[in-house]
Amino acid sequence: MQHTKPPRKPLRFLRNSLPFWLILPTVIFLFVVQVYPALYTVWLSLQERQPSGWTFVGLKNFDRLFNMSIFGESAGHTIIFLVSHVILTMVGAFIIAFLLSRKIRFTGFYITVLFIPWIIAQIIVGLVFRLLVAPDYGLLAGLLQNPDLFPPNGLSVLTASRPLPWFGEFPFPPSPAMILLIIASTWRAIPFVTLLLLGAIEMVPGEVLESAMIDGASLWQSIRYIMIPLILPTIIVSILSLTLNAMNGVGLIFSLTDGGPGTSTNILSFTLYTIGWGQLQFGRAAALALIMAVINWILIAGILRNNSSEGETN
Amino acid sequence: MRKISLPSGRSRNNLLTHAILILICLITMVPIATTILISFKSQPDITRYPPVLFPCDTPEKTFDLSACRWSVEGYMRVLAPKPSDESPLGFILTGNLLRVYLPNTLLYATASALCVVILAGMSGYAFSRYRFRGRKALLTAILAITGVPLLTNLLALYQMAVNLRKSPLPFDDRIFLIVVYIGFFLPLSVWIAKGFFDAIPRELEEAAFIDGCSPIGALTRITMPLAMPGMSAIFLLTFVNVWNEFLAGYLLVSKNEYKPAMFGLYDFLGQNLINLQVIAAACILIAMPIVVLFLFTRRTFLKAMVEGAIKG
Amino acid sequence: MKFTSSLGRMIALLLVAALLAACAPAATEAPVVEAPTEAVAAPTEAPATEVPPTEVPEPVDFTTWFEFDEKNEDPAADGRVGNEYLRNTIPQFNEAFAGKWNWVNQPKAYDKMETELVAAVQAGAEVPDIYEMLSDSVNAFAQNGTVQDLREWAEAQPWFADLDPSALKACTAPDGALLCIPMTQRPQAVYVWTDRYPNGFPKTPEDFLTQAEALKAEGKYAITFYGSTEKGGSGINRAMFTTLSSFGGGLDDGNGNMLLNTPENIAAIEFLREIVAKGYAPEAVFAGKFQEEEYFKDSSAGAFPTGLNGYLYLFPLTAPNGTPYDTNTSQDFLNALEAGDIYLSPFVSVEGVQPGCNTTATGLAIPVGAKNVEAAHDFISWVMTPEQNANYVVGPGGGLPALKTTQSDPRFQSTFYQQASETIGASACRPWYGSLLRPAEAKELVMNTIYKLIKEDPTADIAAELTKTQEEYNQGN
Repeated sequence: MQHTKPPRKPLRFLRNSLPFWLILPTVIFLFVVQVYPALYTVWLSLQERQPSGWTFVGLKNFDRLFNMSIFGESAGHTIIFLVSHVILTMVGAFIIAFLLSRKIRFTGFYITVLFIPWIIAQIIVGLVFRLLVAPDYGLLAGLLQNPDLFPPNGLSVLTASRPLPWFGEFPFPPSPAMILLIIASTWRAIPFVTLLLLGAIEMVPGEVLESAMIDGASLWQSIRYIMIPLILPTIIVSILSLTLNAMNGVGLIFSLTDGGPGTSTNILSFTLYTIGWGQLQFGRAAALALIMAVINWILIAGILRNNSSEGETN
Repeated sequence: MRKISLPSGRSRNNLLTHAILILICLITMVPIATTILISFKSQPDITRYPPVLFPCDTPEKTFDLSACRWSVEGYMRVLAPKPSDESPLGFILTGNLLRVYLPNTLLYATASALCVVILAGMSGYAFSRYRFRGRKALLTAILAITGVPLLTNLLALYQMAVNLRKSPLPFDDRIFLIVVYIGFFLPLSVWIAKGFFDAIPRELEEAAFIDGCSPIGALTRITMPLAMPGMSAIFLLTFVNVWNEFLAGYLLVSKNEYKPAMFGLYDFLGQNLINLQVIAAACILIAMPIVVLFLFTRRTFLKAMVEGAIKG
Repeated sequence: MKFTSSLGRMIALLLVAALLAACAPAATEAPVVEAPTEAVAAPTEAPATEVPPTEVPEPVDFTTWFEFDEKNEDPAADGRVGNEYLRNTIPQFNEAFAGKWNWVNQPKAYDKMETELVAAVQAGAEVPDIYEMLSDSVNAFAQNGTVQDLREWAEAQPWFADLDPSALKACTAPDGALLCIPMTQRPQAVYVWTDRYPNGFPKTPEDFLTQAEALKAEGKYAITFYGSTEKGGSGINRAMFTTLSSFGGGLDDGNGNMLLNTPENIAAIEFLREIVAKGYAPEAVFAGKFQEEEYFKDSSAGAFPTGLNGYLYLFPLTAPNGTPYDTNTSQDFLNALEAGDIYLSPFVSVEGVQPGCNTTATGLAIPVGAKNVEAAHDFISWVMTPEQNANYVVGPGGGLPALKTTQSDPRFQSTFYQQASETIGASACRPWYGSLLRPAEAKELVMNTIYKLIKEDPTADIAAELTKTQEEYNQGN
């Protein structure tokens, strides 16, 4: 909308090319560290390491990937992990954001305290939760492994088997370790979403809710029918970026469960790591990475779409 | 933009709100508190079944404050202090974590954050102030780039590092890692920076032009000072992200002397399989600087978070 | 507007940058001068191959990858024995080769060093001159060309004739190439608390299950073992293969194909299933992080199948009668064994089958692309003296020395070694991977399957699961 006013003549050339020079270094960095590796990944996904060197194998890597039992299984784990993580985080964050948005004192204090989990590294968060439930020695192990509380043998979270699946091969219900993983990742993600939602809720004019409640709507009704529709774009963006973050992180799994017990906390990002850096099947890992990249791009496109209504107007 | 106030029973409601929030805060703090607790236990109290919350029980009583067996064993094992005549304190800390890994992390985090601020500031300014064809596409592309999983970027970067190491060019693992971190955290920072510049009225700059300032002059004298809070927010965000990053530091650096603190933690895991107090102490020592930094800069930090989160 | 041309220029530049990045990634290194780091470090030492090192007054660096870290002086670190070994040995070597070689060790995580080396060789990265290699990697290394064939050089060395043939075999690739110089062999044995099995460790699975039931009634566990799937399925090269082979089973058909669905393997898995289902082993066998060892240390589990080097990590110990062995060194186990509180035994086996046992050799390998091969040769010859070989074996190596002369060293005539050789003599030891060429993939697949069958889904059809697993692996052949 706004156009730059015609600048004075001597500066014209400089002004015209200035944005180019300003953006160029960024673009170079991104090319080296992000774009070139992405292209390399595409190339790699069609290659296989032979004793003689890299060999073109077409789509064989994808074929092998789909035939790996762990692929389908970890896709199932990923779905369970993401869905529960997102639901728990959204509900928790909404409650906290709603409470914080009320006219109370010490909001700054609460936000500060509640925000600490988000700045702790994933790998540390994993360890912190592992210290709680480590078999036999974890702080809660005495409680959880007590056969009287959890018959018949007590619950050792990191070794307990998953229940038999209800729906064929789909790994539901999740193993106790998966539930712990979900709790740990939710613990770390809630502050981030709280902050997002808080910003949106504070934009909702208080009068709207008040008048609804004076008209006899219950608190729940006014939240459900008035507030949530108003902050819907933020909710969608939160869900998408939560999914994006959770899907690609491995640090937490690394230190908390290492994919176990068995394969019960093996989500796609962890499988990508084990195929690539564990078994050195880089071609197959690249194929999996491309699949994940497509999912990521869909999520990013969703975020951009929902943001364009608010962010990109000027 | 008023905060919401519900009509009836405000003070009772507020009390309830505080009570719930305090409860949530306490629950949030449980994992952190227990880690601190574990870090001060001694080995016999760690490998005890069933575990006790406080190492304060005696044969007679379950809790006796005077009998508490608090210990700094975990920290001693991480820091490994050794008597030394050269140090003014009379001892030096020989643990790799404090001697090698944390200084490395500090270097990586500071250097990458500074570079990210400069680069993101420049391009964020351009994206905010100039309209050119392809601007929106480029902005979108910058965000879309982050969609490739980091794990496979590392394959290519690993190969790149190897080629560079063999080339006649001067090469240093540390500089390469910093470049990689810049590339990782730049896209989001560009968006954040653009948002901050969008919030600075252009009229101020245009007034400066009319007064005879060059565009660069206007940038450095008017816009930059106004953008400082935003830039420091980007600095903090990148600093924390680099501090907490694990995989790149682990896979791309070949020499152990150049590896960052998260690798050091991983190393501790391998050496202390059931010494939970050592692991807890290492966790605390690595996370502490970041938490303290956050507590001192929370306003700026949270601002960057909101900006960054909305954009992606 | 003029900016259109800006963008055009930018796109052109990007293309150039892309080309540069693709062809010579080096060219894109330019912007880093902005990074406020310390001065760029000087490139590493000039390759020694160009300059005869004997003429160089300064000793030339030669690098090794060991899983141990001589700089870690933590007396309670898990790798303390190996850390101390390096701390003692590095100065000895540097003195022996003063003015010639300078030994620089890069510590590597024991469960990651193999992949790190393969990745480094594939990418053409800097590799060490000496790699502390487990013979488990032999087939994989032969396949992907990670380490050099040492046969020609080694056969000309004086110590070659002194090498134990079975140790030598462990380092030999299917095509006959000698990929490592063995230093020690670590076959598996069962460590047994005498008071838990006073009449000797059971010979048959049935006998074991009977005694296990009796121990369970006393509130004790019959056995503890590494049952976790972590670390890429390394449970296989611990107790799992020992069990399978004691029932006459194994993982391969001898021609590089995985063969799991055999009656022998099914019987072995049923046996493991029963141990787990009846609670003869603690839940912590599945915990990973070597937590299963704790149950042997405090003697709440009566037996522990593990490698002959496993005792290096088992301390402090408490005997069933309460006797503590708590010097907190690997001496604890040897003391308990001397005192008769612990003995070594072969695993149980079915009729007509010798007790199975997985064996691994530890050796020294020279990676492809090593810069200082001459120093590596000097190093190997220096380590392969009876004295140094013994130091390594009583240090981090454990197991049986690879040099026959060393085997007759008084240090290897102790009760422990007598029992060890009896045990090994009564067992049929062979490497778990057999003819499989992708051991890393096989290990993870098979361990996940066994875990699923014995722990997670004890009602699943064993034959069907085993068939599925072997088919998945064989697809890649």
